[in-house]
Amino acid sequence: MIGPRSARHFDYLLLLLAITLVSYGAVLIYSAHLSIYPEGLSTGHPLVKQGVFALAGLGLAIAVACLDYRIFGHLAFRLYLLAVILLGAVLFVGDAAYGSTRWFTIAGQQVQASEIAKLLVIVALARFLADRQRQMDDVRVFIISLLMVAVPAGLVLLEPDMGTAMVFGAIWVGMVLMAGTPPRYVLVLAGILAALIPFAALTVLSGYQVERIGLFFDPGSDYLGGGFNILQSEISIGSGGLFGRGLTEGSQTQLDFLQTSTTDYIFAVLGEELGLMGALVLLALFSALLFRGIRAASLSYDVFGRLVATGIVVMILFQVFINIGVTIRIVPVTGIPLPFISQGGSSLVMLFVALGLLEAIVLRHKQIEF
Amino acid sequence: MLDEPRRWSNLDPKRRRDPGAAGKAKFALLRAVILLMFGVLVVQLVHLQVIKGDSYQERAEINALREIVVPSSRGLIYDRNGEPLVQNSAQFSVALIPGDLPEDGERSIYRLLAGIIKMPEAEIDALVKKGSKRQGDYSPAVIKKGVDRETALVLTELEPSVPGLRLLIEPSRRYLSGALLSHVLGYVGAISAEEFEALKGAGYFPQDFIGKTGIESTYETILRGQSGSRLIEVDGSGRELRVVSERRPLDGANLILSIDLELQKKVAETLAAYAGTSDNAAAAVMDVKTGELLAMVSLPTYDNNVFSSPISEADLAALTKSPGKPLVNHAVAERYPPGSTFKTIVGAGALQEKIAFPWTTITSRGYITVENEFDPNKIFVYPDWDALGALDFYGGLAMSSNVYFYYLSGGKPDERFVGLGEDRVASYARAFGLGEPTGVDLPGESMGTVPDAGWKEELIGEPWTLGDTYNFGIGQGYVAATPLQMLTGIAAIANGGELLTPHLGMEFRDSHGNLLQAIEKDVRRRVPVDKQHLETVQAGMRQSVTRGVARNAAIAGVEVAGKTGTAEFGPTLADGKHETHGWFVGFAPYDDPEIAVVVFVQRGSGGNDASPAAADILDYYFNGSRAAQKPEDGP
Repeated sequence: MIGPRSARHFDYLLLLLAITLVSYGAVLIYSAHLSIYPEGLSTGHPLVKQGVFALAGLGLAIAVACLDYRIFGHLAFRLYLLAVILLGAVLFVGDAAYGSTRWFTIAGQQVQASEIAKLLVIVALARFLADRQRQMDDVRVFIISLLMVAVPAGLVLLEPDMGTAMVFGAIWVGMVLMAGTPPRYVLVLAGILAALIPFAALTVLSGYQVERIGLFFDPGSDYLGGGFNILQSEISIGSGGLFGRGLTEGSQTQLDFLQTSTTDYIFAVLGEELGLMGALVLLALFSALLFRGIRAASLSYDVFGRLVATGIVVMILFQVFINIGVTIRIVPVTGIPLPFISQGGSSLVMLFVALGLLEAIVLRHKQIEF
Repeated sequence: MLDEPRRWSNLDPKRRRDPGAAGKAKFALLRAVILLMFGVLVVQLVHLQVIKGDSYQERAEINALREIVVPSSRGLIYDRNGEPLVQNSAQFSVALIPGDLPEDGERSIYRLLAGIIKMPEAEIDALVKKGSKRQGDYSPAVIKKGVDRETALVLTELEPSVPGLRLLIEPSRRYLSGALLSHVLGYVGAISAEEFEALKGAGYFPQDFIGKTGIESTYETILRGQSGSRLIEVDGSGRELRVVSERRPLDGANLILSIDLELQKKVAETLAAYAGTSDNAAAAVMDVKTGELLAMVSLPTYDNNVFSSPISEADLAALTKSPGKPLVNHAVAERYPPGSTFKTIVGAGALQEKIAFPWTTITSRGYITVENEFDPNKIFVYPDWDALGALDFYGGLAMSSNVYFYYLSGGKPDERFVGLGEDRVASYARAFGLGEPTGVDLPGESMGTVPDAGWKEELIGEPWTLGDTYNFGIGQGYVAATPLQMLTGIAAIANGGELLTPHLGMEFRDSHGNLLQAIEKDVRRRVPVDKQHLETVQAGMRQSVTRGVARNAAIAGVEVAGKTGTAEFGPTLADGKHETHGWFVGFAPYDDPEIAVVVFVQRGSGGNDASPAAADILDYYFNGSRAAQKPEDGP
């Protein structure tokens, strides 16, 4: 489907940035696991698994890049249905961990339903909005698009997984604005939601979520409980200083003061061991990656491609912001992986598939030129 | 820029492929949003890592390092013959380290513990909170003390897998002779908040133990030694990873007391037998040459072992509210009118001041009369205990004639007999150690009272009268002394004038038996009475035992010298009499005094209770010594 001539348009930089991020993450995972695997790498080391996932993801990315991404547009409705079914089913047959039900076990491998669903919903929403470019003023289009995201976001919230629900919301806002919805619609909706916050706090949010939001404002209030992670993460990052305490040298990381240090709190490992400089390098890598994503959107041959690329960029951006924000206490505690960095197969594979889509969009565009 | 939807929807379908100017603006905006959001992160990172970095670094260090106190082992205590009096044992205590309890999981740990140590979860929770408040999150909060061995075993197995759980092995002191030496040894207890506040700098820690009273308190620093400490690195669950540095503890020295355990037993038995229904009684035996106390008993007593484990409120109340005040050492902490035992001191003073000579004869018709200084028609009568007839100095002391000592202390103005007067009585009383602490190595000593005109004026607001001097002269009225004060006073008469500091501690030795420090004989002062006069008093006391009121104190084979006292106290009874305390002070052998004895029986008689009790004690000491009994005990 893709000729050798167009292969030169392949965004190698985008892929290189992703691989760099995964490697960066691998180093951090290795360090954070040193207390459990003191003898370093072995076949059972989680890093090996992470490498396998990265390679699988890379393969999938290239495969997706080779496809005409528009087939996904044609399949949009079915993909959307799949997303909702996945999210609904996981509530009943999923595995619970850390007080939340997010995972399926398929062939001994835990798969996080919401990771797959995010990408599927981006594709479906892109198709829906692309088809209605002339009706973007229509409030019904706006509301239907909202419902399209609200259903999966609501299911995710039931797991409960507030972080991913927030990412769904951000994806939707980014995509509808990019598609041409009058911003005032979004503003009015934001106003209504703000007015509903007190009500929501009392009814919709579970006690677990209210507690976590409370902890965000005063982690000392429950030092032994949920506040522990926030404080330890803050101490870890703060103690890193400008240049960090050196890889594998952070006492917070190495002495297991950080919980879930290879997944949700991996940024705290980075902050402690590599300091502000390490964090700036990470943010620079993410910025470059996201800018390449926007480039893909801007080069897109059609609205569908542009919206898919926008959705992916917003998704990655918010995951990075929320994940890091939690560890430095500017966002309430919510478990969400740091893209490409955190240990975890579902997230990594899904991100590579998303990159494949971006590559497909870039390739397709250039092909049209001739 | 985003508000241009109309232009968008109006675009020609063919041109939809080109995002156009509006699209470019949106991409620019998206880039700006990325930079803005990352900017927010960077600002907070700079705040945490650069501006507050140092303080977080400190907190990270505190997180990982814990100082563990390594307690020193407390010195043991032996009697003068090497009999062990205490034993250090260990008790298992269950503790939780609040800071190590898992997030959201402390409840499950409480539940687990509640089942094992049979304690409600809520109580555990409360104790953890209390501990965390008092001594911080990283000191163990003791949940239960003294758990039995089996429970301890179960907990030992759980310890590695339950974060925050600690099985503490706490030192515990067992007093082998229990109630017999409670007042001497005292006990060790958990340090109180106030004590900790005062001793923080001296190496004490919040869950520490400290000598609360008795010898344990007096020699606290020497017995305690110096605790060591270990700086350890811990992981997030509080598990010890490695020892960063260690300071070894310095064990406390062993203390050898002057107490003779066998004699102590005999004294306690004897005193209990003669105390009868008295609320309390006390007795002590002292080496008159060194001041070493061979026995010291106060009744009623208590078992100091009850303080080794937490004592219940009810048990404590029973101890503190009992009329006999079992927690008080009546030999040193309570003062009583010394009664006729005081005549020994008045007699010595009178001889020294040449008020009396051995041949000074005074006739007791059973009383003397004194005219009121302002109204000659008013006559006060001061009684003797009997019409004892003409008495010389020896007779006066031997028969314990009140009249004889009325003359010596107050004089008889109408017969031109000049007495010592209250000033000189008081000054001799003080010279013999009354009205000041003896300096014995026990806490809580009472000073007693030596009255004089100024004292009465100030305290009671009345002028001193001749009658006060008469009462003073026979150890009644305002004068009050502890049994131990009387004992040291008598010892000074017996040993030729040395007023000694009585002491229980004899020497400190290290665990190998090497002598570290000997507690030397301490002469507080020489009493200002010539030796020949003291010998006259000694002779009078000897006669008191041979032919006088202290005849019950006589024993076979050894010449005992002594003085009884039957001191009135409290309000006048219906028959005009008073309740009395019984006293005996004495020493033996008469020609070369070795030991002095004091026996005090509250609501008793000097001649009938205290004297025979003293006789039993002296008889045991001289005739029924341990050496004689040993063969029977042996196999």
